[in-house]
Amino acid sequence: MRAALEVSSDPTLDVAILSKVHPLRSHSGAAQGGIAASLGNSAEDSWGLHMFDTVKGGDYLVDQDAAEVLTREGPENIFELEHMGCAFSRDDEGRVAQRRFGGHTAPRACYAADRTGHAVLTVLFEQLLRRGVKVYSEWYALDLVVKDNVCQGLVAYDILSGQIEAISSKAVMFGTGGYGRAFRVTTNAFASTGDGVVMAYRAGIPLEDMEFVQFHPTGLQGSGILLSEAARGEGAHIVNSDGFRFMENYAPGRMELAPRDIVARAEQSEIEAGRGVTSLRDSVFMDLRPIGEERIRYALPSVLHLARDFAGIDPLQAPVPIQPTAHYSMGGIPCDINGQVRVKDLDGAPQVTGFFAAGEASCVSVHGANRLGTNSLLEAVVFGRRAGRGILDVVHDLEPTNIDEGDMANAVGEVDKFMRAKGPEKVGKIRAELRDTMMDKCGVFRDDAELREALSEVKDYQERFRNISIDDHGSTFNTDLLDAIELGHMLEYSEVIVTGALARQESRGGHARRDFPTRDDDNWFRHTLAYRPQGGEDGPRLEYCAVNMEPKFREPFPLQERTY
Amino acid sequence: MAQQEFIIQRYDPDTDESYEESFNVDVQPGQTVLDSLNAIKWEQDGTLSFRMSCRHAICGSCAMKVNGQSMLTCQTQVDAAAERGDPVRVGPMGNQKVIKDLVVDVGKFLHQFERAETWLEPYEDQEPPEKEYRQKVEEFDHWSHASTCIHCGACYSDCTVAAVDENFLGPAALAKAYRFVMDSRDSKREERLQYLSETEGGIWDCTRCYMCVQACPKDVLPMDAIMELRTLAIEAGHTNNHGVRHHKGFTSGVRKRGRLDEMMLPVQSVGIGRLLTGNISAHKEMMDYTPGAIRLLKSRKLFAIAQRHGANAEGREQIQRIFDEVEAEKHHHDVDADAFGAEFQTAIGGH
Repeated sequence: MRAALEVSSDPTLDVAILSKVHPLRSHSGAAQGGIAASLGNSAEDSWGLHMFDTVKGGDYLVDQDAAEVLTREGPENIFELEHMGCAFSRDDEGRVAQRRFGGHTAPRACYAADRTGHAVLTVLFEQLLRRGVKVYSEWYALDLVVKDNVCQGLVAYDILSGQIEAISSKAVMFGTGGYGRAFRVTTNAFASTGDGVVMAYRAGIPLEDMEFVQFHPTGLQGSGILLSEAARGEGAHIVNSDGFRFMENYAPGRMELAPRDIVARAEQSEIEAGRGVTSLRDSVFMDLRPIGEERIRYALPSVLHLARDFAGIDPLQAPVPIQPTAHYSMGGIPCDINGQVRVKDLDGAPQVTGFFAAGEASCVSVHGANRLGTNSLLEAVVFGRRAGRGILDVVHDLEPTNIDEGDMANAVGEVDKFMRAKGPEKVGKIRAELRDTMMDKCGVFRDDAELREALSEVKDYQERFRNISIDDHGSTFNTDLLDAIELGHMLEYSEVIVTGALARQESRGGHARRDFPTRDDDNWFRHTLAYRPQGGEDGPRLEYCAVNMEPKFREPFPLQERTY
Repeated sequence: MAQQEFIIQRYDPDTDESYEESFNVDVQPGQTVLDSLNAIKWEQDGTLSFRMSCRHAICGSCAMKVNGQSMLTCQTQVDAAAERGDPVRVGPMGNQKVIKDLVVDVGKFLHQFERAETWLEPYEDQEPPEKEYRQKVEEFDHWSHASTCIHCGACYSDCTVAAVDENFLGPAALAKAYRFVMDSRDSKREERLQYLSETEGGIWDCTRCYMCVQACPKDVLPMDAIMELRTLAIEAGHTNNHGVRHHKGFTSGVRKRGRLDEMMLPVQSVGIGRLLTGNISAHKEMMDYTPGAIRLLKSRKLFAIAQRHGANAEGREQIQRIFDEVEAEKHHHDVDADAFGAEFQTAIGGH
């Protein structure tokens, strides 16, 4: 939406947003805590400090040119949102209020109560309405059409009517979000099925750093719905089945306030050692009661509501079972700091003219191996705007594109295949098994044996997927069909995640290998690029490219051990 | 684990058939209505259609009617919906056309936001500040509740006015309009108040039934926002319309007589002055009351109303005293608020 707003500033261009859910339903709206920028409203801060925190938080796999752009342009993007009418909370001086957040050394999370993503999403949509930007709501993009490395547009399915249409366009930008739905326990929306990532992959574009998936330590047991980090900030305890605050054994100095990956790994260790809670033994307890009822009601109203409404548990009366939950996709479609999809620092690598990406679907890469809280909303806004400007820079020089019937064959064929399929397998069952595999064998901890099992299981699911059938053969709002298409996407990118994780023999940020517990800069200080298998290849072909160490306005931050 | 019966309202667009279908679902403690719909879809009948996305009450996709009331199904525990083990009834939202099963056409609902132009209109005659606009905490707190709308449509679905009036802007769009009226960054406050007062389906069409406040899964309080808009509109001088005349006729009658004079109210609402000067549209508006009057006549209620015309209620002095006290209190409050605003502007060095 941010990119569309930028492009709509040129009245000669015909810009539209196409989305499988109404744009107001996008998962950016679920971001709670804030959007980072070094405004310095609460304490001394600078973009350099923000950049350092980002690079270190990402375990140095961060492209430093991108982190520089993110942090330098942060403040002006916040002010721009504020001028558009964003409902930011205020401090006593009437300025945008800022608070502390994990991994940031200064209070730089600008927030709108505990609904920051909602406030940002809403204000962008409002301004799009004001500009009269066209919205194709509940249209499902099926295929990205690329000919001779030039993007031609999309083939899309109108969910309301079941019609498949070609949308020729000189420029296409994907802001299609993350891929966390492949995991059993996740904070992600049902919609976060990595559709854009897979469309790019199928169009011949390699996917970058897909093995890096962030697990958040405080998801509600079972559903994985996020309980904000603020609960621990306010003093909640995390205990195992013995009632013991086990962080004592993992990070005695920071206890529950250790970084996300460390707490998530500690929880997983306790669960695997048989010290989990509830009848399933698959979670630990977060106890909010030490905070006190009054403070919980004042400072953590959404945590209170979420536990009550979604788990039926009252945190004022009882501890809440929590578990690590797949939260953020660091990997995605490789692109440069102007949103142009390309592989950086790799001679002769493909660049698709007219194809752009931003946000969680992209891999710029500003988050490296692990994202800091509140940097994702910022990334979506900063690089959305840049992608919009990137499009404005080139679009007038691009040739008109044309999608003919032959170009639509893939998409038409895919829908047709599912509508006619008569096999015995069911989407719901394969999907549930896939999510178990990814959670249990490619989750918080990974090792060679489990990853090999995961890979063979994913391939097995892919085989079984060829023998599915769906129940709904109607043309109106056929969500059964969409479930099948989405499962196809999940199966395809899951293979990429596992393959990348198996190859990467080190532990870095969100990727923790039991058999290779330390970071290995000599061999693995580089980005993974996974190409879709072609003729005879058994799985994704992996290549690697260098991490960018060339910020424009300052010296790069050299590699250091990541300790907190 | 216990078995729970769900009765789903279904609609097949291909055959134009509406019917109810019953499903039994194994329900675990903590399970939501949306979880149960998914269990039905994934394990029993893939043709069942409904919208959903975030699963935690922020995307606004999954509003439906559960046992007749509109709510987010992701936020509703089965235990709470199934009192005494009764079946849980799930149907599509109201006041909107059903597309398939539990999916409705939200186009009409979302169009209301465009009609009310619920986006910030910045001041065009001045550059924005280099940094942020200053806004005091109290100002933000005053309208921020109305910015929490997730556009789920639950309020519109249960709105008793939208049920009979296609033109009604509806609770959500009006609450959002209020949010911009109150936001000091917006340059169109006056135009907004005028539009909301005078357009067909504006603030004066709300019947204050409170259903929107009950249905809202967030803290928007749409009806309260609409009531505040009415006050602001009158204060801004937008009084020459049916709604305000109705409101004034209503209150002045009660103040004077201690009771409502239902014979006079239509005349007052249309406007005595307009009628006396021979305003044609005013006379047309009077004619609009005719069918209602005939119905009253038929049900023998008109005579009772006519009989009470001009009569004073017992204890009307007490009612007049209530009016006086409320007015005095309001004046007091306004003075305080003005003083606070001036103090803040001084403290931050103006704006």
